[in-house]
Amino acid sequence: MELFRYAASIYGDSRVVIGASWDLLPWFVAAGLAFIIVHAVVKAIAGRHGHAS
Amino acid sequence: MSASETSAPVTRVVSAPNERVLRHQLVDRLYHWLMAASVLTLMGTAFLPILGWKFEWVSVHWMTGVGLTLLVLIHIVRALIWQDWRAMMPDGADVRAGARSIRAALGGSGPAPGKPGKYKILQKLYHLAVAILVLAIIVSGLLMLLKIDTPFWKRNPYWFDADTWGVVYSVHGFASMAMVTLVMIHIYFALRPDEWWLTRSMFRGTVSREEYAEHCDPSRWRAEDRA
Repeated sequence: MELFRYAASIYGDSRVVIGASWDLLPWFVAAGLAFIIVHAVVKAIAGRHGHAS
Repeated sequence: MSASETSAPVTRVVSAPNERVLRHQLVDRLYHWLMAASVLTLMGTAFLPILGWKFEWVSVHWMTGVGLTLLVLIHIVRALIWQDWRAMMPDGADVRAGARSIRAALGGSGPAPGKPGKYKILQKLYHLAVAILVLAIIVSGLLMLLKIDTPFWKRNPYWFDADTWGVVYSVHGFASMAMVTLVMIHIYFALRPDEWWLTRSMFRGTVSREEYAEHCDPSRWRAEDRA
């Protein structure tokens, strides 16, 4: 998996960056999901402890 | 040192009739929902074609982007001139309360974290992150407009060399994908039952006296009665 999208330069002798790789999009979605799951679990555990005490 | 002992800016708010506390004026709620509609439209027109849904997305995307730019400019001017922009900046009391919250969550002892003013430190940090990303997207997006024909100008792709265009497109792409993460987190918090009082205030503009007393430090965000 690459961080950037590349294309051939107009001279054809090198690759130039043309933007961010869209292959990373699922990773950004996964980061959001991971945050949501971890936060929900931590809040649920904290809430249960709060009720117990 | 408690929150009330700090020099944190105090924002005065006016109570609406029937003893509710005004949290968001109508103009601010309109800005929020227009920005939400713009951002969701921009994400749809940016990422749906990448995911395989092909349609003519460029015109809708750049016009919505220009609309978002105007909205953000209005918001910046309003925040700097008519609102207390410092109320959105993390301060010493926020950092102390945050550290105490972490200590308490880890089972440590010590003073209880104080209540926030109008915004919690995490809301302020979230706003800061969104501001940085949106400004990066707007600046790079405005530069990218140089590569398309519009009713107002003809394209000029030779404004920058290929490497510089690569940087501009990369900034736009990375910041846009990071916005997906932040929008997901924003919607999650808006839907959490313990945050509904804030979500409701973005529709109604007000919070109840009880919600205000429960969640906010009056010395840092002062409700002012009309009567």
